[in-house]
Amino acid sequence: MDIPAMRASFAKAAATGDEAPLYFYAHLFLSHPETRTMFPVSMAHQRDRFFHALGDVVAHVDDLDRVVPVLQALGRDHRKFGVVPEHYPAAGASLLATLRHFDDEWSPELERDWSDAYGLVAKVMIEAAAEAADQPPWWDAEVVTHERRTVDTAVLWLRPEPEFPFRAGQSVSLETDVRPKLWRYYSPASAPRQDGLIELHVRAYDGGPVSTALVRRVGSGDVLRLGPPIGHISFDAESDRDLLLVAGGTGLAPLKAVVDQVARHGPPRRVDLFVGSRTEERIYDRADLERLDEEHGWLTVTFAVSHDDLSTLEHGDVGEVVVRHGPWNSRDVYVAGPAPMVEDTTARLVQAGVRPERIRSEVFAPSRLSPSLDGEVTE
Amino acid sequence: MTVDQHGRGHAERRLSPADVRNVSLPRATMLRPGYSDVEADRFLDRLADELARLHAEKAELRDEVRALQEQVAGAAAAPEPPSDQAVRILATAQQTADSYVAEAEDFSRQMTADARAQYEEQLRQARENAGAIISAAQEAAARLTSGGRPPAADASGAGERTAEELEEQVAYLRAFGQACRTQLRAYLEALLADVEAEWGRADPGALPTAPPRTPAPNVAREVSRDDSAADDDQRTRTSAAAPEARTRR
Repeated sequence: MDIPAMRASFAKAAATGDEAPLYFYAHLFLSHPETRTMFPVSMAHQRDRFFHALGDVVAHVDDLDRVVPVLQALGRDHRKFGVVPEHYPAAGASLLATLRHFDDEWSPELERDWSDAYGLVAKVMIEAAAEAADQPPWWDAEVVTHERRTVDTAVLWLRPEPEFPFRAGQSVSLETDVRPKLWRYYSPASAPRQDGLIELHVRAYDGGPVSTALVRRVGSGDVLRLGPPIGHISFDAESDRDLLLVAGGTGLAPLKAVVDQVARHGPPRRVDLFVGSRTEERIYDRADLERLDEEHGWLTVTFAVSHDDLSTLEHGDVGEVVVRHGPWNSRDVYVAGPAPMVEDTTARLVQAGVRPERIRSEVFAPSRLSPSLDGEVTE
Repeated sequence: MTVDQHGRGHAERRLSPADVRNVSLPRATMLRPGYSDVEADRFLDRLADELARLHAEKAELRDEVRALQEQVAGAAAAPEPPSDQAVRILATAQQTADSYVAEAEDFSRQMTADARAQYEEQLRQARENAGAIISAAQEAAARLTSGGRPPAADASGAGERTAEELEEQVAYLRAFGQACRTQLRAYLEALLADVEAEWGRADPGALPTAPPRTPAPNVAREVSRDDSAADDDQRTRTSAAAPEARTRR
């Protein structure tokens, strides 16, 4: 396989920007109209994602240790879209047609190389999907309760069917019938429970089609679909170091799951949870956190507000408040929230002497489409 | 039906199954019994020709069927690729749809952002107003008490001052406790970090498997500030919930 030549031909298609993915999807839908229903009405993001993912694979194609696990995860994950093995050759034919269309030096050798390479990619994905066949492609999850906590935040409890296996701190993609074919990632705010219920925190972003629907249109009794869980914040359940958790916005969710994990499964460790917010009324889960604080002697919950002069809570950016309560040198630290908050808090903690390798963080942002090849949350 | 009629007269005519079934070969002469050799041989020749022709035709048809089958199978696996024109038309239609969706999303984003800004502004104003009203009321109350009743003039005034003093004392003690707590914890955390560092130096292998544990520190659990009224309550509840937990202050 002539990898440099393949990279060059891919670069030609990629250089056209949106043209190449536009061509690809139009070609695919015309040759296999049945595939259209697997995609949302607006394809704009889909096009970005597809060529981005393909570019990742092309860039790292000679690093199999890195590419193969990603492809396997993709293959497993694609089952939730209703992708079956027969769809892979269809996409492959359209991909070759696209590359051929945008490459004026297309040759039979390139055609063969690309065809072989695509065949390998498809094989890895199909095999991974087949191995996951003992799991359902997706889980139906009924909304048991839906509480609007603030003007734009809701806390949902879901009951997945059948049992949904996941670990505290992982992320779950979900889709609602109100916004068909738009999958978004959320972090459960609970550890696995005996009754199988999952707690979810959703903040409606302005103009965000899925988050606003989840907050304002979905109600109890509605059924969502969950994709298989994906690991983000790699919560180290083995470590028995004490914990410092710092949350901003709905970044609270995975950290509350960590608290739940310690409460349910141990090992016993001291946990300090700091919850930052602009104003006091934006703290959407206060009652429940105060209940946990009261129930568990090992847990201390501190709220901080940054833009609320009248509040009796601690004032300042949450990172500042955390450092004020320090030192935290002996702790495992988890930080989750909006990008500026995560950066600020991490920087302050490192400055205060916390070893950087003990700090794990996750950025929460609108439209959390999927983890990229590097395991980071995109956009 | 005789061979005379069909065999000789129409040598090119093909044999039908009925011809074979109904064939009646003429008798030979009276001297030799059986069919006429000439007629029988001719008929067998015609039969052989017909069989050969049928075999050839069958082979030809088989080839044709195979070719057609291949064509059909090929069409299913690789359908006629869509023309560039069709692809362009669909791509344009898709782009149009995308831009409508994007516009709708953008519109909704603006609307909700505006609404939120308004909501937050009104909330801020309301809170400011409430704050102003409360402080005005407090001022008025202070004026009333200080102006209306000279200090220590009667029992209720003394009671109030005592309450004030008590509150001050409580606040002072709480602040003192908080300071102690913070210092103690800072000290313990630093000690822990030290121990860990020393341990790591002395026996690096032991560090990951057996990190030093906090020796049940004598540190109070934090009580959120607005909980002061329930202080005592909270203490008992805390220790009841976690008997092994630290004592308070």
